[in-house]
Amino acid sequence: MKFDFKRLDLLRRGRSPIENHLIDGLVAGRIDRRSFLRHGSVLGLSLPFLGGVLGTVGMGTMPRAARAAVPGGVLRMAQTVPAATLDPMKIADGGGITTLSQVGEYLCFDMPNLTLAPQLAESWSPNKDGTVWTFKLRQGVKFHNGATMTADDVVATINRLADPANGSNALSAFSGVLSAGATRKIDDYTVEFTLDAPNGNFPYYLSSDNYNAVILPAKEGAEFEKNWIATGPYKYESYTPQVGAKFTRFDGYWGPKAIADRIEISYYNDIQPQILALQGGEVDLILQAPVLQSVALLNDPNIQILTGPSTAHEQVHMRVDMDPFKDARVRRAIALCLDRPALVNGMMKGKAAIGNDSPFAAVYPSTDQSVPQREKNIAEAKQLMEAAGMKDGFEVTLTTEDYLELPEYAVLIQNAVKQIGGKITLQVLDQGTYYGDAVPGKSPWLDSTMGITDYGHRGVPNVFLAAPLASTGTWNSAHFNNPTYDGLVASYIAALDLEAQRASASQIQKLLLEETPVLFSYFYDFVSATKVGLNGVIPTAMGQIRLDQASF
Amino acid sequence: MLKVALRRFLLFVLTLWLLSIIVFLASHVLPGNVGRAMLGPFADPRAVDQLNHELGTDRPLLAQYADWLGGFVQGDMGDSFAMRQPVAPFVWNALGNSLRLALLALVLVVPLGILGGVLAALFVGRPLDRVITVGGLSAAVVPEFISGIVLILIFGVWLKWLPLSAAAPADAGLLVQIKYLLLPSIPLVLVLFGYIARMTRAGMIEALDSDYMRTAMLKGLKRSTAIRRHALRNALLPTISVVATQTVYLLGGLVAIEVLFHYRGIGSLIYTAAQKKDFPMLQAAVLVVGAVFILASLAADLIYAWLNPRIRLGGGE
Repeated sequence: MKFDFKRLDLLRRGRSPIENHLIDGLVAGRIDRRSFLRHGSVLGLSLPFLGGVLGTVGMGTMPRAARAAVPGGVLRMAQTVPAATLDPMKIADGGGITTLSQVGEYLCFDMPNLTLAPQLAESWSPNKDGTVWTFKLRQGVKFHNGATMTADDVVATINRLADPANGSNALSAFSGVLSAGATRKIDDYTVEFTLDAPNGNFPYYLSSDNYNAVILPAKEGAEFEKNWIATGPYKYESYTPQVGAKFTRFDGYWGPKAIADRIEISYYNDIQPQILALQGGEVDLILQAPVLQSVALLNDPNIQILTGPSTAHEQVHMRVDMDPFKDARVRRAIALCLDRPALVNGMMKGKAAIGNDSPFAAVYPSTDQSVPQREKNIAEAKQLMEAAGMKDGFEVTLTTEDYLELPEYAVLIQNAVKQIGGKITLQVLDQGTYYGDAVPGKSPWLDSTMGITDYGHRGVPNVFLAAPLASTGTWNSAHFNNPTYDGLVASYIAALDLEAQRASASQIQKLLLEETPVLFSYFYDFVSATKVGLNGVIPTAMGQIRLDQASF
Repeated sequence: MLKVALRRFLLFVLTLWLLSIIVFLASHVLPGNVGRAMLGPFADPRAVDQLNHELGTDRPLLAQYADWLGGFVQGDMGDSFAMRQPVAPFVWNALGNSLRLALLALVLVVPLGILGGVLAALFVGRPLDRVITVGGLSAAVVPEFISGIVLILIFGVWLKWLPLSAAAPADAGLLVQIKYLLLPSIPLVLVLFGYIARMTRAGMIEALDSDYMRTAMLKGLKRSTAIRRHALRNALLPTISVVATQTVYLLGGLVAIEVLFHYRGIGSLIYTAAQKKDFPMLQAAVLVVGAVFILASLAADLIYAWLNPRIRLGGGE
């Protein structure tokens, strides 16, 4: 590898210590190319800059997509029907997020490869301890009503979301991170966010990852459902609840103008008819194709499958305060029964990545890849059971929701623990019953001794680390209560520097392997499907889809 | 006659009122509150409380019910919790769609079923009878979403003769609408054919064996005339009741077909409303289906009376 230190020194000049430390890690080989790009984007470094640094250490530049497309035409998409109103502040379901993403934009966008790309913000940077983040806004951005976007709009949007009085759905993300009134205008194109606590991954909270944070005009924002005014490459044409929506190209768009003239979305109640509609040529693409239901598409020569990494997963919780799981050795023994490669290749048709019983999926740059992967080991599992005084096995009920592959997964776990004398009774509930009132005492999700819960994708592991595992976490099904763990998570969340994050991550990963309150045996990919020849579609694991540069 | 009509009307209102109480209670004994169902398990409790407050679902049950009933008797079906829009257009639109599909299915299956039943009765015990009865029974036990998928794959995906979704464009004429509805109505025809044919066959066998048929033949009527004028009219009586009771299935029970064929019928409207605890939507849709069912039974009674002079209305007093 040839290093161009002269040019590297030029690039380093004027960069903050945190930014230079990231570059040090790259030069020393502690950080790979992918992690460098992802974490650099969080720190607000531009992609051309990151590409330049990579060039000096012989890792090449960013690939650029150059393709001449003829403008015009209509793209037809099938998607799940939005569950409720399309108010960005209230939206809470994948169907709503997908439709909204045709018109709405964020300060930054979490790309399919999990790097943050600037969208309505051009750059961002933290102060020394990560408590104050400053965002520079893009100039010349027009709303669909012709008005120019300024800091006032951004401040109004974010403060609206953070204010508990509005009952916004972003409250769970902003809680303990950003309070109402903590967003402040510096000048027309600069906004400052003063956080409740240091946070090294804060830009993700303002990105498409926090799907409610669509930037709306200060005045008309509260009336979005009536006017649909935002900044995206397409603007509203019509919306018929439960039937579909249509959008047309917005000629005042700040970026490259959309290629297709129009987008036509049809709403479906189920995935099966979407797959049939794609095969029958009635639509050009479907956004989300769950692996189990879309086997037919995997072998269809007229269909191309887009697979992207995602951190969506199924958490198998074991209540550490109840028998038979009070002893960590029993929990570890159960984890050792699972044949993870077989789960991924069999049940998930290879469309998943193996998990190591912590939220640190391999795709996160902060994950310590050197922590040994847990593998099936029945002999060790039997020893652990004997040491825990449970040689004769145990009986327990496994409760789960009837969603995606969860019932199948439950059966596989049931069979796996038979090897150590475990007798599992299955209880599969519909989703409404499983989650109940979502508070302890009124929710099988939070009350069951053992259960499986589906968690959607997050661009950073912060939420996965806190809510389901921290002692104060509101989704703590395992009732895990470990002060050491809580401390490690606090320092992980505060860390600005990738290597500091990795150091905390490593300790968290090891602690969770030892304690195993929750099994994370795989993280499933995000699978979309289009007609062969449709290029330029950008789906995100969060449920957004960008079609403005898509064409046949 | 007037007394009978009044009594039937009061019964109609009472039935619907009881139905509304049952739906209300059923949708409130299930775990989970409305705001939670709307926003999902991972939403902040403050957001859930705020939404429940906006929707008025944090009030006592009786107050909510009284509020809804007060509006309903004045012709206001209320606003959907999920869509934040009046329920009425959703319900009428879905009912219209369901009626169109049910009507086409009935138009296809009733003549076919009756013809099948009559033929089976005329050739009782012979191969044709066996084919119709066994074939009808076999078709009826195939779940409609299975036959639906097979039909879509054959006629929609491979041959591309018929559209995959049942919803015709907004400006479509009658023929185009029928073309769109043809595929989804076939599974319904398959389910109902055997049932109607069997009822007709049983009635027909009995009628053919009756004294009045022998009299008709002896007085010199041609066999075909005797069958048409005398046997068929009597044999159809049980078939009418069967068709009437199937209207509820055809209107509200087609969730699988509606989902598969991407059709906004009242069955899937009820299903999603129940899932989302969208009480105003659920209540209005169930009541509308209930009302249609009661009216269909009434229509069946009238047709019955017309076919059977012995029980003309009023005579039963």
